Amino acid sequence: MVASVFPAITLVALLVPILAPDNPLIPVTTSSGMSSFVAPGHHGFLLGSDLIGRDVFSRVLYGIRTSWFSAIGVIASGMIIGGAVGLVAGASGGLVDSILMRITDAFLALPGPVIAICVVAAMGPSLFHTLVAVAVVWWPFYARIVRGEIRALAGRTHVDAARLAGVSRFRLATRHLLPGAVPAIVVTASLDVANLLITMAGLSFLGLGAPEPAPELGAMAAQGMQFLLTDWWVAVMPGMAIFALALLSNIAGDGVRKLWGRS
Amino acid sequence: MTSFVVKRVGAALGIVVVLTFVMFFLQRISHTDPVHAMLGAGASPAAVRAEAHRLGLDRPLVDQYFSYLKGLTHLDFGTSYRLREPVSTALATYFPATMELTAYSLLFALVIALILGVGGAGKWKGAGVFRAIMLPAACIPPFLLAMFGKIVFYEHLNLLPAAGRISSSVANPPTGPTGFLTIDGLIAGKPNVTIDAFIHLLLPALCIALIPAISIGRILRSSIEQTMQMDHVRTARAKGLKERSVLLKHALRNSVGPALSMAGLQLGLMFAGVVVIEIMFNWPGVGWFLAQSIPQGDFPAIAGVTLVLSITYVAINAAVDVLQAVADPRIRV
Repeated sequence: MVASVFPAITLVALLVPILAPDNPLIPVTTSSGMSSFVAPGHHGFLLGSDLIGRDVFSRVLYGIRTSWFSAIGVIASGMIIGGAVGLVAGASGGLVDSILMRITDAFLALPGPVIAICVVAAMGPSLFHTLVAVAVVWWPFYARIVRGEIRALAGRTHVDAARLAGVSRFRLATRHLLPGAVPAIVVTASLDVANLLITMAGLSFLGLGAPEPAPELGAMAAQGMQFLLTDWWVAVMPGMAIFALALLSNIAGDGVRKLWGRS
Repeated sequence: MTSFVVKRVGAALGIVVVLTFVMFFLQRISHTDPVHAMLGAGASPAAVRAEAHRLGLDRPLVDQYFSYLKGLTHLDFGTSYRLREPVSTALATYFPATMELTAYSLLFALVIALILGVGGAGKWKGAGVFRAIMLPAACIPPFLLAMFGKIVFYEHLNLLPAAGRISSSVANPPTGPTGFLTIDGLIAGKPNVTIDAFIHLLLPALCIALIPAISIGRILRSSIEQTMQMDHVRTARAKGLKERSVLLKHALRNSVGPALSMAGLQLGLMFAGVVVIEIMFNWPGVGWFLAQSIPQGDFPAIAGVTLVLSITYVAINAAVDVLQAVADPRIRV
């Protein structure tokens, strides 16, 4: 039941262009003229307005959309790349397994977020580069989990039966081993969304995402910092949005975990 | 034991070599051209060729990699495009501040984890509360926590400072020997430095510590719960010990192993948090330096920071593994 929070957030993120009351990039002109730093709840600004009078609520909504789809994209790439590496390693065994797992372990032994910062900084700040950099450091975790599941499944009798029936190695891996690893990978992924949202918000906070004036939650928080003690909502609201998204994801992730009966 | 240490250190060195490959590769794909970064866009072709030769860019890649590696073994991280001075000079200035902040963050994380883990494990009424706090607390981005810290403890309560390592009113803070102001203050016989530095550390270190503390606390809790099912705990209960001393004296020590491993791994996340928090609190560390270097595309500086943070991370994790093997012989197998 709670697991349905995931599709619900995705739906909201899809509908943002309809839900947002104002354009996130253009200052709103009110009847009284200046709309700079309107406090939340005044003059129709639900979450206030920023320095040049843009609607913070609309910008936060667009920021949620960007954060959410970025997180989903990186998780998907982690599942696909990590899943493929883990499947090949687990199903082949022997030398291939050793080599692939050494590479995976080397990645896991490095501080992923720091490496990601360096990768984006080298390629030049942009949202796409951030996604690539985080994807590069995110897959090894999935490779380890999938490989462990595959190794455990490989000793099961249904796999022996399939092998005796003369099934090809490819078919054995994709039809008889992979499906057994799906619950583990889905549960891991759903509990991982919140971490990823917070990590990517950190990168965006450092100015590594899309350039101004793009509405990104981390970058908005960073730009609002200079007004924190006078006009707090400009910095705090995007931060709260990340918090809310991460919390909802964790609750939903817990739902997915219970749904698949894992501890 | 010796073979375990040799293996573990060898693995750590292997990872560092992989890291230097990655850094060298990133330098190649970096969007700032080192020659133009040094000479400016309007340099003559002859000057460009001469500078490329000076930097060794006209030599084969393998050659370049090995001279890069050789430089690194002499702590030569290249020259910063922005500062026009060796990156190692800047790192030496900023690194101690980062290490002090990280050390206290880790300490706070361990203390909070211990409270959450032990508090959440017992069969008492409050355990549910501890578990209920952990879920939302793990979702707070460090910069949001820092904002609340600044607004509440700095602006409203005026209890804690919100920027820098030390108050400007503290005259002549010691500059050595450890680079940790809280320790150097004691060594130099200036307890006011130690106290002032510690007060400056509190907010940023707590902001960095929270999320790792919860991950470590979760592991500790489940580890304690597993240990509580073991025979020696049953024996301790059977001889009539109170539940509290069973937990603290017989279960806790056997349960900290996995939590310590987790603490080592969480350090990677903490380093990313350090970068963000240093910016928020004007903390003069490598993260702050990194943030200055990113907009300028100063790749040698960015790579230098990445290297020192990563190598520290790898070294600490290797040390944690070795210490665990010392404490628990079962791990050596």
